[in-house]
Amino acid sequence: MDAVPAIRVVDLRKSFGALEVLRGVSFDVPRGSVVSMIGASGSGKSTLLRCINRLETPSAGEVYIDGEPMGGRLSDISRMRRDLGMVFQQFNLWPHMTVIGNVIEAPIRVRGMRRKEALALAEECLARVHLSEKGKEYPARLSGGQMQRVAIARALAMQPKAMLFDEPTSSLDPELTDEVLTVMRELASDGTTMIVVTHEMAFAREASDRVLFLHNGQIEEEGLPDQVFGAPRSERCRQFLSKKLQ
Amino acid sequence: MSNWERLVWNQRGLLWQGLTVTVEICLLAFALAIVGGLVLCLVRLHVRPLRPVAVALIEFFRATPIFVQLMWVNYVWPELFGWPNSFFTSGWVALGLQSSGYLAETFRAGIEAVPRGHREAGYSVGMSSFQVYRRIVLPETLLTVAPSIVNQFTVIVKSSTLVSVITVPDLMLQAMKLVNVWYEPIEVLTATAIIYIALVFLVSSAGKALADFHRRRFGLDSA
Ligand SMILES: Nc1ncnc2c1ncn2[C@@H]1O[C@H](COP(=O)(O)OP(=O)(O)OP(=O)(O)O)[C@@H](O)[C@H]1O
Ligand SMILES: [Mg+2]
Repeated sequence: MDAVPAIRVVDLRKSFGALEVLRGVSFDVPRGSVVSMIGASGSGKSTLLRCINRLETPSAGEVYIDGEPMGGRLSDISRMRRDLGMVFQQFNLWPHMTVIGNVIEAPIRVRGMRRKEALALAEECLARVHLSEKGKEYPARLSGGQMQRVAIARALAMQPKAMLFDEPTSSLDPELTDEVLTVMRELASDGTTMIVVTHEMAFAREASDRVLFLHNGQIEEEGLPDQVFGAPRSERCRQFLSKKLQ
Repeated sequence: MSNWERLVWNQRGLLWQGLTVTVEICLLAFALAIVGGLVLCLVRLHVRPLRPVAVALIEFFRATPIFVQLMWVNYVWPELFGWPNSFFTSGWVALGLQSSGYLAETFRAGIEAVPRGHREAGYSVGMSSFQVYRRIVLPETLLTVAPSIVNQFTVIVKSSTLVSVITVPDLMLQAMKLVNVWYEPIEVLTATAIIYIALVFLVSSAGKALADFHRRRFGLDSA
């Protein structure tokens, strides 16, 4: 067994003013595993992901990436963010760059890769999201599903130790979610370490190694997918799931 | 021989000379306005100690009538700074300063319109704040504000007629000279108006085309 998890979260707390959004969250994400996070709107899922890569500063608690504590000076935070690929609900592609431009930007500017190498890498990453032919397009010309897959490729191009997905399919039309979920399933079976915040219960059940149910800023239920979905111990989790699954 | 031929066509050399001066002045003023506007905006947003100075300048440039500003640069600056030393320079500097005040606000609106997520996407791949600014915020801002910047050029063209007051030989001044020689204002001034309309129309069409292009290609609405 691998002793050092890719991500370890210890007693993480976050308040916005008087509003306590995370109230002591702890969990591990072992290397190569997929953790799905479910929970009602406002339960703190996005805030948790954003605290992990320090887009938000936690009020208390620790996050360890590969054993190293996240935090410190801005330059340390930037360095550690390279190892965490983030995929947003709103895609957040850079509209003034082509698809290729979006993907090679960070390898070149942040990793200091040569352009030629970066282009080869980008080709590889775009192939993984099945968008090899769209490299020269601008994001505005793509469908939502394609944009999200480019965003995944952009994150993969940094060859991160783990990927963080924040509701990657929630702003997509239903007929476009599958192409994104397919890519994510492939990443999962390739052994990519992932935390996935999602409302796609089928995906969470089939593709993840563990499922966390967040309620009011705390982990209310946690376990293997079949256990959380099949026989939830918490009443709240049961209610949440019965609403989602009906 | 018609008045049009005698007063306008036969004087086309003079009018053309005036037009080139007008265009030169406007281009110089435009360049100053863009650079000045960007600097004022960046100082306002990011250089805390100088912020009040930038705000004061922006407000001053925007609130002063262009005529007052022209007189101010032309008569006060040489006393204070020993510069500008020509009417021509005073002319484009005053025009440029006024527009820099407006463009500073345009740039600010553009920067604030860049979605937070675009910046966060940069941070989350490990870019520094400076890289995020230089590679994401500024280029995206320039694209969204480009059409408004072009439209500011039309304001400069229209205001530029006032430099004739300090005897800069622009199109307006040449036209007035012709009027004062022949005392036949109708054709000359009508022709002059048409030239200005054409110029403004040309520039604002370019602005519209640019806005359409940016919307189609980048999905960016102009700020
Ligand atoms: N920057 C902020 N300032 C103030 N309050 C915030 C901020 N970000 C989030 N919140 C609040 O924190 C709570 C949790 O928000 P969060 O976005 O983490 O929920 P979520 O579980 O991701 O919900 P959703 O499923 O709707 O995305 C909400 O009540 C939200 O209003
Ligand atoms: Mg959320």
